[in-house]
Amino acid sequence: MPENPFPETAPTTPARPLRLGVAGPVGVGKSSLIATVCRALAAELEIGVITNDIYTDEDARFLRSAGVLEPERIRAVETGACPHTAIRDDVTANLLAAEDLAADFAPLDVVIIESGGDNLTATFSPALVDAQIFVLDVAGGGDVARKGGPGIGRADLLVVNKTDLAPHVGVDVEQMVADASAAREGRAVIALSRTDEDSVAALRGWLLDVLASYRSGAHVAQDPGPMAPHFHADEDGVGVLHSHADGDHAHAHDHDDAVAR
Amino acid sequence: MNPTSAPPARPAPASVAMLLADARLPGGGHAHSASLEPALLGGLPAADVPAWMVGRATTVGLVEAGTAVVAARVLTSGPHGLDHDAALSTVERAWAARTPSRALRDASRLLGRGYLRVARSLWGPHPAVAAVAARATRSSSPPRAVVLGAVAAAAGLDAVDVVRLTVYDDAQTAASALLKLEPLDPLVPARWVLDACAAAEAHVGRVAACTTPDDIPSSGAPLTEGWAEAHALTNQRLFRA
Ligand SMILES: Nc1nc2c(ncn2[C@@H]2O[C@H](COP(=O)(O)OP(=O)(O)O)[C@@H](O)[C@H]2O)c(=O)[nH]1
Ligand SMILES: [Mg+2]
Repeated sequence: MPENPFPETAPTTPARPLRLGVAGPVGVGKSSLIATVCRALAAELEIGVITNDIYTDEDARFLRSAGVLEPERIRAVETGACPHTAIRDDVTANLLAAEDLAADFAPLDVVIIESGGDNLTATFSPALVDAQIFVLDVAGGGDVARKGGPGIGRADLLVVNKTDLAPHVGVDVEQMVADASAAREGRAVIALSRTDEDSVAALRGWLLDVLASYRSGAHVAQDPGPMAPHFHADEDGVGVLHSHADGDHAHAHDHDDAVAR
Repeated sequence: MNPTSAPPARPAPASVAMLLADARLPGGGHAHSASLEPALLGGLPAADVPAWMVGRATTVGLVEAGTAVVAARVLTSGPHGLDHDAALSTVERAWAARTPSRALRDASRLLGRGYLRVARSLWGPHPAVAAVAARATRSSSPPRAVVLGAVAAAAGLDAVDVVRLTVYDDAQTAASALLKLEPLDPLVPARWVLDACAAAEAHVGRVAACTTPDDIPSSGAPLTEGWAEAHALTNQRLFRA
């Protein structure tokens, strides 16, 4: 019996690679971003990748064919048509795959987990990942960042992807980043294009910072939460904006979902 | 009254059975279809699903159930330790001999691994769970039925409830997978779940009485085995098995 009966759930076992989630709607460029990260860091980091396709192993095959990692380091897990569940409510399949990758290619530095593209509300459970990136693209429209949601608001990093397309879709990238930064109360935002070297360097730097922080024990996994922050009035009629991800479940409030629990 | 000397309250075995049967328990089960997706891909007409569910409940379902029952018996008898390990390997061999498809054995071991996480979290210190956990290596976990046996031993589940739980879980897994694979009123397969459980009732006593690995039923489902092998090779699937 190993010393620690739950190596896969220990929050920061130094021996365990950093687990990084990449979430966001279908088509925003999650797989491409992972390929970009692998390309930018393959020389200095040992990386493994897990994909959560909905119906095929398309993402895993795309990444293998991108030639950025040994094909064996890229694994697909089935999600039973519930990509949302597989990264939040029941992360078992992903945890086991992450554990296997880490053991098969020890010592790994990072295991990157791509969510099966779901909607704006899908985020990773901190039981699965230490940090997560939420990806949007400019083609989805400049106002998406303002609309918010748990991933947009509280993922460790928000990527506004495909900035090279901005002129073609009439989106003001600076404005979109400013909106996103406001919605995120200053959390990190990177405007990315795989063809823009500086933006790739920024992404690379962000990941290395998170890894260093994780290794030093300073990094604390954040749960963006399954719900968007929401607004409800207190007794004086003064609004309180709060999010259920901030560890504030204990305070008494009487709106619908609290009653339903 | 001295509250510190009161024994800790324990959940009723029936409550534990409900927890285990609840798909919301995070053990990795949601990625599995209890062989339904392989069957549909293999050509089983959707209209035959209810009969197929009854078939499972009275054949392969009983192999799983008998395995869990015998594992629990082994783990609750005699002194703990090496004897249990040897006995558990005999149980596992008996199960493997009755589960000829490698794809199905692999899927069951994967489910067993997820289930073992649940078991260790909830009943970790119990010797029955520890005995099964000690047999897990990274590449090969005990199958789900054996892990269920350990949980049954730890939580005090009756053998008849272990059989019913196994049959119900299998049927409900297929029923909920069906809703992802075929357009259907969700209440329709709920009826089929009850029908499958009802069909198994005639066998519950016999399977619950199994005590040795040889007693485990050996009723097979060859088409299911073949479909599972074919499904494992596809890359267009929603479910692991
Ligand atoms: N123009 C442009 N296209 C991109 C960029 N990143 C990804 N794409 C394209 O966006 C599409 C979807 O990318 P993919 O990585 O599969 O998205 P995913 O569904 O989020 O994994 C593909 O056609 C990519 O080539 C980018 O930086 N610029
Ligand atoms: Mg993808």
